[in-house]
Amino acid sequence: MDDHEELAPTPGQRAGKFLKQKDIIQTIALGLFFTAVFVVLGLWFYPKWMPEAMSKEMVGDEGILKWFTVISAPIAGIVLAISAESFMNRRKGNEPATEDGAGIKTHGPVVLIWSAVSGLFCVLAIVWGIVEMNTWTSDALTNAPHALVVDVTGSQWAWSFEYPSLGVTSHDLYLPVGVPVQFNVVSADVNHSFWPVQLGVKVDANRLETTVVRTTPDKLGHFDVKCAELCGLYHAYMETNGEVVTQANFNNWIATAKANGGTES
Amino acid sequence: MPATKGKTVVGLVVTVTLSVAVLAGVGVLLHGHSYYNAPTESATVKGTIVGPDGKTYPHAFISDGIFGDPIDSQAHGKCNTLTVQEGTPAAAACDGGHPTWPSYGPYTHLVLPAHAYVTMTLHVYDSGGSLNVPYYASVVGTIGGTANYDGVDKASIDPTAVQHTFTLHGVPTSSQDPLFVNVPLPQSDDADAAGSPLPKGHTVTFSFITGGKGNYVWNCEYPCGDTSYQGFGAVMGSTGFMSGKVTVI
Repeated sequence: MDDHEELAPTPGQRAGKFLKQKDIIQTIALGLFFTAVFVVLGLWFYPKWMPEAMSKEMVGDEGILKWFTVISAPIAGIVLAISAESFMNRRKGNEPATEDGAGIKTHGPVVLIWSAVSGLFCVLAIVWGIVEMNTWTSDALTNAPHALVVDVTGSQWAWSFEYPSLGVTSHDLYLPVGVPVQFNVVSADVNHSFWPVQLGVKVDANRLETTVVRTTPDKLGHFDVKCAELCGLYHAYMETNGEVVTQANFNNWIATAKANGGTES
Repeated sequence: MPATKGKTVVGLVVTVTLSVAVLAGVGVLLHGHSYYNAPTESATVKGTIVGPDGKTYPHAFISDGIFGDPIDSQAHGKCNTLTVQEGTPAAAACDGGHPTWPSYGPYTHLVLPAHAYVTMTLHVYDSGGSLNVPYYASVVGTIGGTANYDGVDKASIDPTAVQHTFTLHGVPTSSQDPLFVNVPLPQSDDADAAGSPLPKGHTVTFSFITGGKGNYVWNCEYPCGDTSYQGFGAVMGSTGFMSGKVTVI
């Protein structure tokens, strides 16, 4: 054996050498910066931009959006950091082209780790969604026997609401606070999507097929009712008002509607 | 600045400027072709009136009509309705390109004063049938929750004998007051009255109070289009016949 033969570097030495390169240090620094930006956006700004939560379903929706933003922040941070580093090291003016670097070879452990982490994120998203949905469904079914039933009809391009147990129809959606509500949703023509935004539920309105969605409004105030399915000429105008009111005010509204023949705007 | 760098900057500026100009030009061209110059009518204010809330409002009046023949509506160009025959070249100039479509007319863009008591009269001459949604057979959003049909106040009409509806609703913004009005219009006899190109028809009058300034749309909720989309294809999928604008100023 030749006493002067150099030993091959260990994986640790290769990784150490790799991490000491100027470009890599800059990329990591940029990655941490962009990740921090997205985390702040997700935790602080994002909730401020979202509609007011008026049910626990909407609280759940906003939680999912917030934490998924945080989880995806490192991925967005790495992608943006590599892009920024490439841009900063671009060839300028008449500079001669640099020689190509060493070819990138498939690195088994990196591919394995990357795939496993991505897979875990997907599993997390699926499990989180299933748990949330199961919780809501369980609560809704428990409350179903004493829920206020509202038959919702979507038509081009307006919503109408019927309270079958109360004998009232309306263009606006009034709900008493704290009372479970069951929406039976149907379309009179093309497909629509019933979306009371701040209540955190949304379901397709199909012709000849009733879809059901349940929630319990837990906060007084105004909410928007929109169509979330492109449905023709005036789809963008297919919006109406929703109000969560006290039980006493709801009873007054019902009484007024009945006094007007059962129809209220 | 080095000459090469200067050329690069000039090239960049010229490229961006030309791109913006081309895009703007295409946009203006498309808008010019797509813009529908709707026939417009402004409500006339005649005095004041006390509303149901005890407040005094300017009293504005406006009228319009609904016709089974777009030529009779006069909303798509002027021509002599007594002599022009459907399907002729002369008719093509005033039927909006769709001789079989019913139409509101002569106006499809209504301009109303803000915070006013508006009384609207519709002269309606078309046939009809059943609504997809019985809700629209009810009068909604008017003073007293009623409309006057040929001298009789009603809160609703038979949902199986509806000609069309006047349904006014707003855009999805929080910057303007909501304004929802629905008035069903009863179907008319199919036969033209003696000596007239139109049947006897009905006169429907109703009033509502406008809020602040805003842009709204109205449309018909009777499925008077072709058989597609449960009657909401063809004329119901186009502007200027059974739908239009309301501007509150």
